[in-house]
Amino acid sequence: MKSKIETAIGMSRKWDAREAGREVAETAIKNLSRPPDFFLLFSTIHYEKYGGFQEFLNGVWDVLPKETPLVGGTVTGFMNNYGCFSRGASGLAVSYPYLDVAIGIGRNTKRNPKKAAKQCAEMIQKGLKNSQYKNKFLLNFISGPVMPNIPGVGQKKYVQSGFVSKFSLLTFSLSQALMQKGLGREDEIFEEAVQQFPDYHMILGTSMDDYKGIRNYQFYNKNILTNAVVNLGIATDLSLNVCTTHGMKETNLHFTITKLGARNHAIREINNKPAVPELLKLLHWPEGFLNEETMLQTILYYPISLKRRGRQVPVVMPMIMKNYIFVPCIIDDGEVSILTVSGKDLINAVKENLRFFNEIQPEFGLFSTCMTILQTLGHRTNMLHEELCRYFDDKAFLLFYSAGEGTYSPTKNITYANMSFNSVVFGHDQKLSVR
Amino acid sequence: MRDDPIAHVLDDLMRLDDIFACVVARRNMISVMPSSEGFKPEVNQIWDVIKRAMDDVFTVIGEYSSAGLSEMEFRLQDYEVLFYVFPDTENALVAIVPALANKGLLEVEIENARREILKIMNNPTQEPNSQKKDDEVYVTA
Repeated sequence: MKSKIETAIGMSRKWDAREAGREVAETAIKNLSRPPDFFLLFSTIHYEKYGGFQEFLNGVWDVLPKETPLVGGTVTGFMNNYGCFSRGASGLAVSYPYLDVAIGIGRNTKRNPKKAAKQCAEMIQKGLKNSQYKNKFLLNFISGPVMPNIPGVGQKKYVQSGFVSKFSLLTFSLSQALMQKGLGREDEIFEEAVQQFPDYHMILGTSMDDYKGIRNYQFYNKNILTNAVVNLGIATDLSLNVCTTHGMKETNLHFTITKLGARNHAIREINNKPAVPELLKLLHWPEGFLNEETMLQTILYYPISLKRRGRQVPVVMPMIMKNYIFVPCIIDDGEVSILTVSGKDLINAVKENLRFFNEIQPEFGLFSTCMTILQTLGHRTNMLHEELCRYFDDKAFLLFYSAGEGTYSPTKNITYANMSFNSVVFGHDQKLSVR
Repeated sequence: MRDDPIAHVLDDLMRLDDIFACVVARRNMISVMPSSEGFKPEVNQIWDVIKRAMDDVFTVIGEYSSAGLSEMEFRLQDYEVLFYVFPDTENALVAIVPALANKGLLEVEIENARREILKIMNNPTQEPNSQKKDDEVYVTA
């Protein structure tokens, strides 16, 4: 008789890093009758001040069986069967006889994303090369953006000075190469991962702190890392699929990007005019409306639909430097739409996403979601939790909040987006085939 | 002095950097304070005026809680005061945070605290989650 899959969610809300590490592992594996085949681990940044992440991981390994493949890292928050949290740690442990696992790591993601992606891919390929199972999945978890410390300004989302802005634009690449501060470059890593594994289904997420973008950490077995990509590769006979939804709607506001900068990460001109004043004019916002204080409450809720290699890429605008708009990924010039999104749209996006999996009887699910959704919904995030609990019932699910996320499937290609909801559900397809 | 489980919930909230103060309160009365060192020094100078404003807000909460009023907030100088009302009561969990805080993340934890306090209020003999043994806390998935 075929063994049943066993899954378990571990969680800790303890403050002490070592105790929390022990608890998150204990609460997962005590619900398994067999050692886990892998352990996905996410925590918020708070353990940095309460013992440090090495102590946290040490606590996990006090309990977890040796040789359990473990990947994960810091995230802004997480959601699981027990609720939604912006402090604590959570893990997903899975044990299933018909599942092969490999984990991989690549370093220096901001300096050389392609090389990091290839390093990681080699380990996954090696680990799964003899797998007999045809349904394949890859979790790409990548160190997220870290705000550079601009001399004389500090770490800001809005920079007023024209001189500092121009200087920052010129030194953007240098900052990433030398100090590995700046954008996460997760889009470039993701594109390379797709090149390496075109027949896999994938989810992309990024490691973050508490929304400040100051530091983030990744976990790989017993190691704490920065500027790394960690991958979990799975080959299994379980059915699986991925889906991205976002709920953003087009407005009737459009513009044309006529000049890019910072290796196509900054919009310098819109409609042949300096980008920021022209954007403010389009939005009917007064000059000087944007500042460090208003950024969070305003511009993050006016995402824009950019283009990249023919794909739509809806993103938030995380940083303004005088007249330049930084975006989180490489983009092409051309026609752009301003989008809008409300709390209701976000909740509907989750419902739409789960409807995609109506024909899979779930065993477990993993979700990568934008941290701006957590920030936007606040305590109303529990409404998303209710939807997930309704779908999964007593089956395990784990959602983490990041900054830069997406999915890939061989049939739907890459979707990279901000303010999005990205899912993979493993289970039993009622049609007995992977879509 | 008897250990107050609700005070322990407030202690947990106070450990968050951007929670300057939190209490369970009603009009003209603070029912439960954190059991540890008290509020963060940032609010000391402004506490009196915030307390007076809170009492005025509690007048509204008292009127409309039974009609489903669940949250209120106001901004005063560089602070925001958040009220998470206990349903059908005149009491609320009140938190003071800086005006530029990442409020969404804080709201998640304040809501978790509200739910935990409600559980304690409805089951007075039950210990709060932070003191429970692991196998009593987590339901298996």
